[in-house]
Amino acid sequence: MSGFIHLNVASAFSGHFGVTRPERMVEAAAAQGIQAAAITDRDGLYGAVKHIGACLQLGISPIVGVNLAVLDDSGNQLGRCVILAHGKNGGLGWAKLCKIVSVAHALPKAIKKQVGIARSALADLLRDEGGCTVLLGPDSDVGLEVLAANRSGAIEALEAWRECLKTPGTLAIEIVSHITEPGTELSVLQARRMLQLADATKTPAVLTNAVRYLEPDDALTADVLDSARHLEALGLFKPQPNAQAWLKPASMMQSLAIEITEDRDRALELFSTTAKLAKLCVLDAVGDCDWGRPKTPEKAALGIEGNPFEVLWQKAHAGIERFYPRANDSLLTQVKHRLGQELITINKLGFATYFLTVADVAQMIRDMGIRSQARGSGAGSLTNYLLGISGVDPIEHDLLFERFLSVERSSLPDIDIDVESARRHEIYRAIFKRYGSDRVTLLSMQSTYRGRGAMRDSGLALGLDDEQIDEIAKNMWRFSARSFRGALQTKPELAKFAEEVEQDRRMSLLVDITERLDRLPRHISMHPCGVILGDLSLLRRTPVEQSGLGLPMSQFDKDDMDPMGLLKLDVLGVRMQSAMAYAVREISRVSGKEIDLDAVPRDDAATFRDIRTTNTLGIFQIESPGQRELTGKHQPTEFNDLTIQISLFRPGPMKGNMIAPYLDGRHGFAKPDFIHKDLEPILRETWGVVIFHEHVIRILNQMTGCGLARGDELRRSLEKPRIKPQIETFFRTEAAKRGYSKAVIERVWSVIEGFSSFGFCKAHGAAFALPTYQSAWLKTHYPTEFIAGLLTHDPGMYPRRLLLSEARRLGVKVLPVDVNFSTDEYLVEPITRKTLDANEPQIGVRMSIRDVQSISDAEVARIIENRPYKDTADFYLRAKPTRRTLENLALIGALDSLAAAEVTRGDVLARVRQLNAIKNRKALNANQPTLDFSVLESLPTGNPESSTQDRVQAELSILKMDVSEHVLELYRPMLDEMGVLRSDELVGLRSKTEVLVAGVRVATQTPPMRSGKRVVFVTLDDGVGCSDSTFFDEAQSRCSHILFNTRLLVIAGKTRRTGVRGVSLMAENAWDIRELWEQWVNKKKTPLAG
Amino acid sequence: MLRVDERVEVSVDRGGEPIGFWWRGAGYLVKSKPIRWFARREWWIEAARVQRGIGAGVLEVEMWRMSASSNNKDKAQYELVHTLDTSGGQKHIWRLVRVYD
Repeated sequence: MSGFIHLNVASAFSGHFGVTRPERMVEAAAAQGIQAAAITDRDGLYGAVKHIGACLQLGISPIVGVNLAVLDDSGNQLGRCVILAHGKNGGLGWAKLCKIVSVAHALPKAIKKQVGIARSALADLLRDEGGCTVLLGPDSDVGLEVLAANRSGAIEALEAWRECLKTPGTLAIEIVSHITEPGTELSVLQARRMLQLADATKTPAVLTNAVRYLEPDDALTADVLDSARHLEALGLFKPQPNAQAWLKPASMMQSLAIEITEDRDRALELFSTTAKLAKLCVLDAVGDCDWGRPKTPEKAALGIEGNPFEVLWQKAHAGIERFYPRANDSLLTQVKHRLGQELITINKLGFATYFLTVADVAQMIRDMGIRSQARGSGAGSLTNYLLGISGVDPIEHDLLFERFLSVERSSLPDIDIDVESARRHEIYRAIFKRYGSDRVTLLSMQSTYRGRGAMRDSGLALGLDDEQIDEIAKNMWRFSARSFRGALQTKPELAKFAEEVEQDRRMSLLVDITERLDRLPRHISMHPCGVILGDLSLLRRTPVEQSGLGLPMSQFDKDDMDPMGLLKLDVLGVRMQSAMAYAVREISRVSGKEIDLDAVPRDDAATFRDIRTTNTLGIFQIESPGQRELTGKHQPTEFNDLTIQISLFRPGPMKGNMIAPYLDGRHGFAKPDFIHKDLEPILRETWGVVIFHEHVIRILNQMTGCGLARGDELRRSLEKPRIKPQIETFFRTEAAKRGYSKAVIERVWSVIEGFSSFGFCKAHGAAFALPTYQSAWLKTHYPTEFIAGLLTHDPGMYPRRLLLSEARRLGVKVLPVDVNFSTDEYLVEPITRKTLDANEPQIGVRMSIRDVQSISDAEVARIIENRPYKDTADFYLRAKPTRRTLENLALIGALDSLAAAEVTRGDVLARVRQLNAIKNRKALNANQPTLDFSVLESLPTGNPESSTQDRVQAELSILKMDVSEHVLELYRPMLDEMGVLRSDELVGLRSKTEVLVAGVRVATQTPPMRSGKRVVFVTLDDGVGCSDSTFFDEAQSRCSHILFNTRLLVIAGKTRRTGVRGVSLMAENAWDIRELWEQWVNKKKTPLAG
Repeated sequence: MLRVDERVEVSVDRGGEPIGFWWRGAGYLVKSKPIRWFARREWWIEAARVQRGIGAGVLEVEMWRMSASSNNKDKAQYELVHTLDTSGGQKHIWRLVRVYD
């Protein structure tokens, strides 16, 4: 009896049941010297591909099954069973298993919340060909009858199963003992009786340990997961009986078998039946799962005839005229040569259908009138440009195809398409319609426990108070929860909690179990942008379940795509694309001007001038505090500068210290160092600094003659420590052969080596730079429409109120919420000029009613539908707002225009409260004049006008936006007295001037630093712009209590000049404005004594 | 049934099965094959720490049920708890928890 194959193993992908990730489980099995390992997750094959991959890597055989609830025909529970796929049968077992899982996720509506399969459906699927074995274990109806010592009941239950699963090999009894108290579930006694039943009915019996974790220690984690699954604190539900459900070695399984059978021969037989079933279930990854073989839609599905490559060749060449209409001969030659080379590669790889598929989808999106743009390395392909997939010309921007695709790699390339986020679901539906739901599914995503989530579920398990947990969770910043306890000692904002941990046992447990949960899968959801496009075999390869969107979704995630040979298309919703599309629509609606953003010349001087002011709020990719600072230093003047700037501001280049040398070269502070004249053409654009993957590929090619495709392979391998030495040898030898000096080789290698993981793909950068430029162009030339788009689609990192602040700075007129004019969008509205001043804006942005607190979609729809309203009572009767909404609308002045000019906000409010006091709202009846309308009409008067302060406070609490004026204005008297500077005054100051700044927190960031120390950046908005402050260690501990949470701040610090237009603050201290205000007001009230 | 919770001294055979114990000054001899199982503890009430790697002892205890008798008494069923706790060298703690007449 050597080796024991566990056939019932739940991994961490078993929805809060299993504890161990499949890879670890497989490693452990391999370490025990076992030839095969199984995975049987609850309700799905979520971990199956990872399991198979791990098995293949370690040279052991994969077995896959599922743990499912089975129901009888009237929907009664028959308990949970493990269903194992048979292998080496051309994919029959795998396909059956996929189908079984998919069916289990498509229960009729009445029992929808539950996942399970009707036994009759299961029987139908396995009737003729078999293909799977169903294991009836202790959790099945048979197991429960056995537990109740009801022998005839057990036999009857088993008979019902045998009646359904007559095909030989489809049914077995699963013997499990967790050595629980005699007579209880999973006890030796239950196992022994199950075996007796099996023997009496001549049903095959196998032994498992119903594994849900790798080691006994993991049982504690399992307790916590049980709590998360039950949504109840530990102690409030029936917990697991003990810690026996681990991956026991063969010797212990042997003792178990002997304890159960009390008979060595019978134990041996139990072992051998188990081994026999395992053998039957061993999968051949390629033969059964079509592992690694790329699958694309059939020609017919794409509407093409003949050879796909010929079709692709024609389509791409047809694009030349369209995209290079005025090209001279030398450019045309270059284009044709490059296209030829790309097509040869594509043909060699057999990816023609793939490109045609993506082009087909891109065309479909365009036909729907939706903005789209390819992102990622795909922008480096001329074929993609000519097929209309990407909008960036790879020849003009000097991008490499080899970074995207080469014969050196055979995995399916990734082409990601960015589309308007607001319309992406339309696109998904259209894709399903076009290719059919037997070829298309959505992609899923496993979210994992991270810091705060892990802490919340740990808190739930311990029955701790929600608010208490939220308070602690708020201070969890930028550290892995896996090292929570360590963080308690080092993070100043956790100091208070660290004390509690010392004193309160439960807090200490909280830390321990939070660490345990970290990184475990949490739940499955729809991937935000992935669509799988396959051929008609798709649903035999992947199980599907309903997504939140109502469309079928594969149980596999993005990492499973390549191994399974599935083609994933990322159709990513980008809010900025929606915001831009919206702005273009508003320009056309209000002024009649039609703008084709993609055709706008990319060298507009005014646009770059505006970018250089660093007022980049709202502009794609360069609005963050760090990017604003970099913009001040960098001062971009052309499109390629944007590509470089976006690529520089990444963790890699920042850690690799690439920014400073680049800026020095650009501004002429240092002479660029190209190391060797051969590298100058490659590195000229970046003043000798290696920034892009494309740089490294070209350098390797230049100095070793390896070719660009091989160059990219070498570049990729630089990240693998094992292979790096070989590459180094290759580089040194080949470069020396080509006559490069030792010193040059030495220096270039050190650059390349240091670069490995730092750089950025230029094609990515260029693809990002396009919407950056387009949004900047809109902001420069159509600020009102652009702000309207930003407010409507909210694409940025900042709160909406900052956009209003920016609108005020730009001179964009903001029109308050008005029930007669506001809609569910932020509309651009013409304004009648009141003066002859040509500078007075002719258009403004009308605030939307959508963002009024607690307003419902139905209320919004009713308000819009029943317009116009002649007075408050009319609005009350026809729009039927809830009391709360009515009062909220009055508070923010949305009803002001319904009253006569002399009526105060106070009167309107009094009126609304009067209406709200009416018990039963009168239904409006056209035939019957409302008799007590007169009551409604009696208008209260004489109430005071509300102060600006009250208005701003109301706006902030109801709209989360200060519409009337900037919230800081309320504190202006105090701030002026303190000598607080406005953010636009900073740029004129010398370095190291001591100053005070104030404002509303708009961003807090803790970017990775070279030194590894944590630095906190806080950005404040004060109505005229933003100020950025940097908190180092000492300052962090000085104001740890307000560092992350306080909204209104005064910060003291020293200015630090960072460039032509760049100034930031080295913070020394910070205070809560409201606390200062209270003291200030009190001081004003108390007359000075003496 | 009598519930007790008292520390007892236990002698075990080479396989770890109890063969006799001392309780309240009397020696008891095990008269039947002891039945062993594993039960659990409510660590969220009792434990001070449950960090990764602390071991299943925080969660799990070994239970033994057996017939035993001492000189002057009739045979009865006894239940012992064997704590596998690994903290601080106290590897084997035995407690008598139940007596069934």
